[in-house]
Amino acid sequence: MKKIISLLLVAGIAFVSGCGKSDSSNSGSTTPDGGKKITVALMPKSKGNAYFISCKKGADKAAKELGVDLVFDGPTDPDPAKQNEIVENWITLGVDAIAVACENREGISTALRKAKAKGIKVITYDADALPDAREFFVNQATPEGIGFTLMDEAARLCGNEGEFAIITASLTAGNMIEWQKHIEARRADKYPNMKMIALRPCDDLKDKAQSETTALLSANANLKCIMAICSPGVPGAAEAVKQAGKTGKVKVLGLGLPNENRRYVHDGVTDSVILWNTEDLGYLAVFAADSLAKGTLKTGDKTIKVGSMGEYQIEGDSILLGKPFIFNKANIDQFDF
Amino acid sequence: MKRHFRELSVAAALLVVLLGLAIVAPAFFQPQPLLSLLTREAPTLVVACGMALVIISRQIDISVGSQFAVCSVCGGLLAAKGWPLPLVFLSSVLFGAIMGAVNGWLVAGLRLPSIVVTLATMVTWREALRWQRQGEFVNLPDGLQWVGLSQIAGQWTLILAALALLVLLALATKHLSAGRFVYAVGTDAEAARLAGIRPQLTIFFVFVFMGALVGLAAMMNVVQSPQVDPKSGSGLELKVIAAAVVGGVAVSGGRGKLWGVFVGLLLLACISPALTHLHIEAYWEKAIQGAIILLAVVADGLRTRKQRN
Amino acid sequence: MNTDKHGFKAILLRHETILLFVVLLEWLYFNSVGPRFGSVDNTFDIMRHSVEIGLLALVMTPIILTGGIDLSVGSLLGLCAILFGKFWRDAGMSIPLAAACTIGIGALAGGLNATLITWLRLPPLIVTLGTFSLFRGLAEAITRGADTFTNFPASFLFLGQERWLGIPAQAPIFILVAIGIWLLVHRTTFGRSFRAIGFAPEGTRYAGISVERRLAMAYVLAGIIAAVAAIIYTSRLGQAKADAGMGYELFAITAVVLGGTSIFGGVGTVHGTLLGVAAIAVLNNGLVHARQPREVAGMLTGLLLILALTSSIISKMLASLNARRQTSVTKPIIT
Repeated sequence: MKKIISLLLVAGIAFVSGCGKSDSSNSGSTTPDGGKKITVALMPKSKGNAYFISCKKGADKAAKELGVDLVFDGPTDPDPAKQNEIVENWITLGVDAIAVACENREGISTALRKAKAKGIKVITYDADALPDAREFFVNQATPEGIGFTLMDEAARLCGNEGEFAIITASLTAGNMIEWQKHIEARRADKYPNMKMIALRPCDDLKDKAQSETTALLSANANLKCIMAICSPGVPGAAEAVKQAGKTGKVKVLGLGLPNENRRYVHDGVTDSVILWNTEDLGYLAVFAADSLAKGTLKTGDKTIKVGSMGEYQIEGDSILLGKPFIFNKANIDQFDF
Repeated sequence: MKRHFRELSVAAALLVVLLGLAIVAPAFFQPQPLLSLLTREAPTLVVACGMALVIISRQIDISVGSQFAVCSVCGGLLAAKGWPLPLVFLSSVLFGAIMGAVNGWLVAGLRLPSIVVTLATMVTWREALRWQRQGEFVNLPDGLQWVGLSQIAGQWTLILAALALLVLLALATKHLSAGRFVYAVGTDAEAARLAGIRPQLTIFFVFVFMGALVGLAAMMNVVQSPQVDPKSGSGLELKVIAAAVVGGVAVSGGRGKLWGVFVGLLLLACISPALTHLHIEAYWEKAIQGAIILLAVVADGLRTRKQRN
Repeated sequence: MNTDKHGFKAILLRHETILLFVVLLEWLYFNSVGPRFGSVDNTFDIMRHSVEIGLLALVMTPIILTGGIDLSVGSLLGLCAILFGKFWRDAGMSIPLAAACTIGIGALAGGLNATLITWLRLPPLIVTLGTFSLFRGLAEAITRGADTFTNFPASFLFLGQERWLGIPAQAPIFILVAIGIWLLVHRTTFGRSFRAIGFAPEGTRYAGISVERRLAMAYVLAGIIAAVAAIIYTSRLGQAKADAGMGYELFAITAVVLGGTSIFGGVGTVHGTLLGVAAIAVLNNGLVHARQPREVAGMLTGLLLILALTSSIISKMLASLNARRQTSVTKPIIT
């Protein structure tokens, strides 16, 4: 009897200390070596997303160069409350700076304001929060810039007229709703002969994007262009167009990573993939957070000197990474991420 | 007729949907898109068959989506390493069977409730995969798509393979003693034991079989495109459970027919493309799907209620 | 004396005791790893973050006791959250009135589940699988996915974000609900009938208990509490959107089952559920302090679930073995 109880206890301890062992190697880096080490916490919109892994590569590089202790974590499921919880955990953990790619503008701002009030430096990257909840926004492209570029590119591919459809991740994804608004604004303003006929969610899954596109293609004989605004959507839509034998007849474009789309771009199925340099984005986010925590970057500064990458412009409270980049057949092989 | 009431009523619902589409949106019936639609559902059918057996044996497996993702990525990585295709298929099936065996051992060996066990393994496999792969796509070598056949031939191969499996399993559950065991265990495990069947062993093998089918289905999905999405299969469990239940498999075990599952799956698979063809906005899709699941079971409930009174 | 000792052992071997040890071990371990883990602030954070899922787990307990399940609570939370926003912003209701209406909607939605489950005697798993999709779909359809409700008055945000008498403002609601449900399940004939239904629904019916009415009550209660959770959630985040509460049903079920309630019904306690919620909440929070990625939290939750179940099965086997040994010499033990 007693044996069993003690066995259970031992098993429990072994279990807990087992998970302890794995992290001691990680947290070993927190010990300050001499001077005060700055801890920067970087949050992606979600874990397990190739886009943010690419950002993390750049972030790791910056952390290494600056001697910053980098914490990278975020929610694994599409629950908007999880980002808030992690930020609040970081506040108690006592990090020096937080950089967040926001899933829900208003929701996350609640937690970020709290962090600011506790003296933690807050910046956002990739997707902004409300302006009063953070000091700077590392702006890889404004929603306006993304929306306009997508619409311009679609119009160019279609010859300024015809029907197009949008594949999105989910109907509730904040930044995609924002982009759609700007796509629509640009369309109404400059391309009145283009017509948006459908919006379909693909749950951020390549397979579902493929099924949705197949249905769209057969339901709309006049469809000229598919615009996928989430990264798994682009290869999914391209595969559907290819299987339908409509390569070239129906254009595919979207926001995505070069590596996931290389094959389709070479085959001529996907015409353009739009993105920015994600590694630089991660690098810049960590660099800016570190500078802010050290006090070398202040509100009102007009430029920021970034170690190996030169100088970046600051417009108001936006640190500008540069314009979105269009990958196509000609240049896609120069990029590997 | 009475014995097949449930299955026939689902088939009738499917016919109504198809007839409606034929009148309002005949474009739905173009051969190529329809073939693509069916090919997309072929792996789902394979998983749904396994799920039907699991539910018939009065268990449930909600970890199939995670198993599917793990098998897809493992199979994809092996293929990318240059392993020959048959070997890749075999190892994917093996991976699936191993994961199924873990479920089976916990459920049948330790007598833990299957819904909890598979809830735990669902989370564990999914997060472990995310941890290891961080969501990176696996790019497959050329020539793997459609198992090296032309697209049309590949699509027909996958559809026919899934259908052949369905027919074989339907026959096996009816005529093979192993198939009858599953029903017997699901109806009354104690009675089955007294009749000389080993219920726990049967349940163990049902889970192993489920896993193997998931491994097969994962590869049937992998060969449909040149890349593997590590998130593929998420939400699969809900889809196949809904298909099985709409198709007349009773969650209380022991009752259900595989062809009913087939019809149920077709009905559910039709909804989303049908809405696209009817130009109904995507905002309503989830609500309509829920309403259809409810309607299917409510119809059945009303009928049994009448019989009761 | 012998029986005394046996009683002590029986308590030690109880599932809740084992779980309490697990929570304590978690606490001690994370406290040794994260210097700020044990701080008052962090303790309150853990409480604030687990109130919504805790509430859902609390009302899930009676449902699972009856052998049922409710997969729709997370979706219902989402639907209630946006309806609350709609009542307040678009219908111009005051916050208390909007809250009351939202709770009414929650009761109605729970009533829909209850009707289908009791009147048509459909399996709860299937009914709530359908409403899981239906409620989320309605939330998306009403807001077209995009409409976000925000800019709530500070007096309302107080509920989810500030402290009241030194504790998080939402904690009293949680504690009240917890006490209420504990009394309902453990101290009333209602609660006893839940367990009876879980053991043998037909037998309970023959015993003269209105099974339908009791079942209906459990599901309606779940709807009401899901609405309350929605209001707290909205207040904590300062926003309501159609994606609120996605996947919460699984967290709630995990907590209940981890707390020792049998998924087949008939066995389980409310305090077990509370410990289950605590075990998961402490793990999730502590791993941030141990600087482990989020995926590890998911994996460990899965493992913890299996370990907890296995250990309780083992202890049950031991208990029955013990009982058998005792019965051979003394009188049978009635538990």
